[in-house]
Amino acid sequence: MRTTRRQFLALTVGATAAASTRLHVAPAFAQSGPVRLGVLAAKAGVLAPVGESGLRGVQWATDRINAAGGILGRRIELVIEEESSPKDTVERFRKLALHDKVDAVTGAISTGVGLALGPVAEEMKTIWLAWDATTQKGVEETIARPKYSFRSTDNECEAVMASILTARQWKGKFKTVAGINPDYSYGRDNWAAFLAIMKKYGIEVQVVSELWPKLGATDFTAHVAALGQARPDLIFSCHWAGDTPIFMKQAHGAGLTKSTRFVLTTGGGVHESLKKEFTPEGAILGYNTFYFEYARMSALGKEFVRWHAEKFKEWPNYESDHGYFTIVAYKAAVERAAKAAAGKWPAQDAIIQALEGVEAESLSGPRRYREDHIMEATFFQGTTTHKNKHDFVTIDPVETMTTKQIQKPSGVGLYDWINGWKV
Amino acid sequence: MLFLVAAGLQLVFGVQRILNLACGSFYALGAYTGVSAVTWALGHGLPASLFVLALLAGGLALAVIGPPLERLLSRIYDRDESFQLLLTFALVLMLEDVMRFVWGSAPVQLRGAYLVYGQVTVAGSTVPVYNLLVIAAGGAIALGMGLLLTRTRFGRIVRATAENREMAAALGVDMRRVYRRVFTLGVVLGTVGGALVIPATAAVSEMAIEVIVEAFAVVVIGGLGSMRGAAVGALIVGLLKAGAIATWPEVEMLAIYVVVIGVLVLRPAGLFAGATP
Amino acid sequence: MIARAAAVAAVLALLLAPRVASPYLLTLLLPAFAYGIALLGLNLLFGTAGLLSFGHALFVALGAYTAAWLTTRAHVRALEVIVLAAAAVAAVIAVPVGLLCVRYVKIYFGMLTLAFGMLFYSFLYKFYALTGGDEGMRVLRPTLLGRAFAERDMVAFLTGPFYYYALALLAAAALVMWRIVRSPFGLSLRAIRENADKAAFVGVSVRRYRFYAFVIAGVFGGVGGALLAVPTGLADPQLAYWTHSGNLVFMLLLGGFQHFLGPIVGALCFLVLQDHVMSLTPYWRFAFGGLLAAIVIFLPGGLLSLLDRGRPA
Repeated sequence: MRTTRRQFLALTVGATAAASTRLHVAPAFAQSGPVRLGVLAAKAGVLAPVGESGLRGVQWATDRINAAGGILGRRIELVIEEESSPKDTVERFRKLALHDKVDAVTGAISTGVGLALGPVAEEMKTIWLAWDATTQKGVEETIARPKYSFRSTDNECEAVMASILTARQWKGKFKTVAGINPDYSYGRDNWAAFLAIMKKYGIEVQVVSELWPKLGATDFTAHVAALGQARPDLIFSCHWAGDTPIFMKQAHGAGLTKSTRFVLTTGGGVHESLKKEFTPEGAILGYNTFYFEYARMSALGKEFVRWHAEKFKEWPNYESDHGYFTIVAYKAAVERAAKAAAGKWPAQDAIIQALEGVEAESLSGPRRYREDHIMEATFFQGTTTHKNKHDFVTIDPVETMTTKQIQKPSGVGLYDWINGWKV
Repeated sequence: MLFLVAAGLQLVFGVQRILNLACGSFYALGAYTGVSAVTWALGHGLPASLFVLALLAGGLALAVIGPPLERLLSRIYDRDESFQLLLTFALVLMLEDVMRFVWGSAPVQLRGAYLVYGQVTVAGSTVPVYNLLVIAAGGAIALGMGLLLTRTRFGRIVRATAENREMAAALGVDMRRVYRRVFTLGVVLGTVGGALVIPATAAVSEMAIEVIVEAFAVVVIGGLGSMRGAAVGALIVGLLKAGAIATWPEVEMLAIYVVVIGVLVLRPAGLFAGATP
Repeated sequence: MIARAAAVAAVLALLLAPRVASPYLLTLLLPAFAYGIALLGLNLLFGTAGLLSFGHALFVALGAYTAAWLTTRAHVRALEVIVLAAAAVAAVIAVPVGLLCVRYVKIYFGMLTLAFGMLFYSFLYKFYALTGGDEGMRVLRPTLLGRAFAERDMVAFLTGPFYYYALALLAAAALVMWRIVRSPFGLSLRAIRENADKAAFVGVSVRRYRFYAFVIAGVFGGVGGALLAVPTGLADPQLAYWTHSGNLVFMLLLGGFQHFLGPIVGALCFLVLQDHVMSLTPYWRFAFGGLLAAIVIFLPGGLLSLLDRGRPA
């Protein structure tokens, strides 16, 4: 049987048109149907572990909300797509908005994707609650006053907090510093923030080495050798991915952990891989917005940690909390807006207005969305210790700072804000 | 360790004229399998100091995938070389998901083994003995390969086939068997390389895609088809990276490509030509 | 006859699509058009001249970044200018790269083009002051033939005026490529692919013709890249990564690299397939790898070669 080109092409176009029209005919967006939330979770590459984390937080929140009756009686249904390259993720977002007709989208971690999705969320008029990816540029450049995008905490918060702790605890105890940071916007912004804050605190530092390995590198032999030659008193690193333990392992192998102080602003994200055998005590380690063994953790947080440890045999990290918060924040906003709408499902504009300034209980404590759509949360950092029942390091004592202390307020540039501090 | 991957690439290309994009995937497979092998062995009572054996065993065990893959590739031996590239690219995609399926997407690392042999101070810097072991192993394998190719009958057949395929076939050499063995050897070089590095680093899902580019750089610089070239190429690439990091870290990423292009332009056959372009 | 009727039917289907198809499907077709243009160029290089480039994504990225730079830094919004600029930039880069690459064939050509693609990727990543680094550079909404269509939101813009514009551009590109392939130049290229020595013997300047083909392919790639960047709204370094080049080749092979319309069919099928498979399983790379392997082994002529089978030899 000959397949003619006409038949073939007609088949292709027809099939795809049919596949999409099928959804057109499906029950129209009923007020009593489920609430559809799109999820953009990274599944491959260096982002995969954190993408999975975020998804787990989202899923736990969804399951609990559904078990308690849903949002205003409506079940939450998750439509999960993959976050990959900016171009592909934009297409996935459009699919969620146009094809799956979701009420809101949650997710996105990478900076490139974050920058691309901002305008798209505005175009698609779809609420977007990001998990991460909040760079200086992303906040300033995309849309001056975003309506539909709600972003996570600033990327520099961890560096700011770690720098403040460094200044407080180690002032006068170090002179030469070296920076080894992943070679992209996050790495550069954090290192620059650190240097600016050292200057602000009047700490004279001499930069003896500045290294920029590729994000996700697996071989640091040359870097470690260079650091060994430079002999810094302090090494600053904002590595957050699978490369962090590799770097520590190789640094330890080269003897760097004996005499050098370490500041690992975001290493807590991969905390379980920072084994005691190569991670020294006395280093400043940051866990972003969630520390799994925080003594004053809420019952909610403890329950989550228990659930996560049992189900996945791993201890959770901060991305789960980001994911969790986006869901409960959405629910809180809907409920808040519904009060004005006599208990009926509110219009999207009302939900957006309710999201601004909404407060909700996340796994690590209360969080809210500022009026300028940036998240406010609590950050956890501390000094590493080997005194625990795991094979990896934890922190003790634990310092907490809220974003009011370490995140620049809206309308101010990061460095102007730092310069305006009173220390 | 780049040497081992590059060596695998060389061998397969030299004899079969296939440029295997999946050599990086074998490296990654070796890494993941190495971790599993050691974890299993240690859990079953293998003393920590012998973990290297488990690593090697894991890498060598992967030789079993050689023949079936080779059979797959053999379908297109007589086609345009571009198709070979594409088929191996397909392999890269498939193997990546296989690895993700088996081991998950989080980095996998080996615990405890790295410093089992202690550290030593060389020229003012502290170096784990394991690193030296790996370098020694690389050298040993290189020597072994050299001996294999020059002294044994198999080696001679391989070289003859590389020189002139038709003649070798005419002389009664069983091409299918040679190809199968060569390919498997190439696979094993990659997997063992991956297994050996793993104590120092961690196995991540993007390993395969990224090591390819470096392996290509090595092969181009050293010259396609030459074992010695692979060794020298690996050395040069390694030195280049270290040099860039030590002097001008910003160009770390670019330096390699610039040199590759330079070599391809100035001496397209590489530094030790074994095959003509 | 049937082929012509089929082509007409296909064109009609594409023309009418905005009336009947869902907005999502339409936004899916847009990259297909863009890739179609880029692949027409790659097809000239591979299908006609026999050179497989594993760095074609370089030109696609160039086009995208040109569009980004023009709309954000130079405040130029006219799509016509952007497309011409993308073509020019691609040509300018294609000249030196081409001069270097066409000296070699087959494997070396593939490797060299891969290296150049990765070099550009590293450049895009590193020189972040110029290119935005890992975050990329935004691409703002262009004006079509001077009109901004400001009253329409992005979705309406993309599924309406922009759709037709892209389709028209694709048709124009196809027409131009058709003339090229049918010209004496194109015939010479095919002769070179068949047997380079013989062609040289007959007086065809092998290297020069390959070079021309390379530059033309680059230009088409650049135009495709500019068009691709508009729906995404962003140009980022991932566009230049070698696996993106691999996908381009995949699309071409899927459609059929020796057929003129192979690129377009391949781009369409690949994107529609990818969309469905990606939503179905996280292991879509495996499925696609398998598909590519199957095509290479069993159907190297691509989907359009299925049509050949029926035809008498």
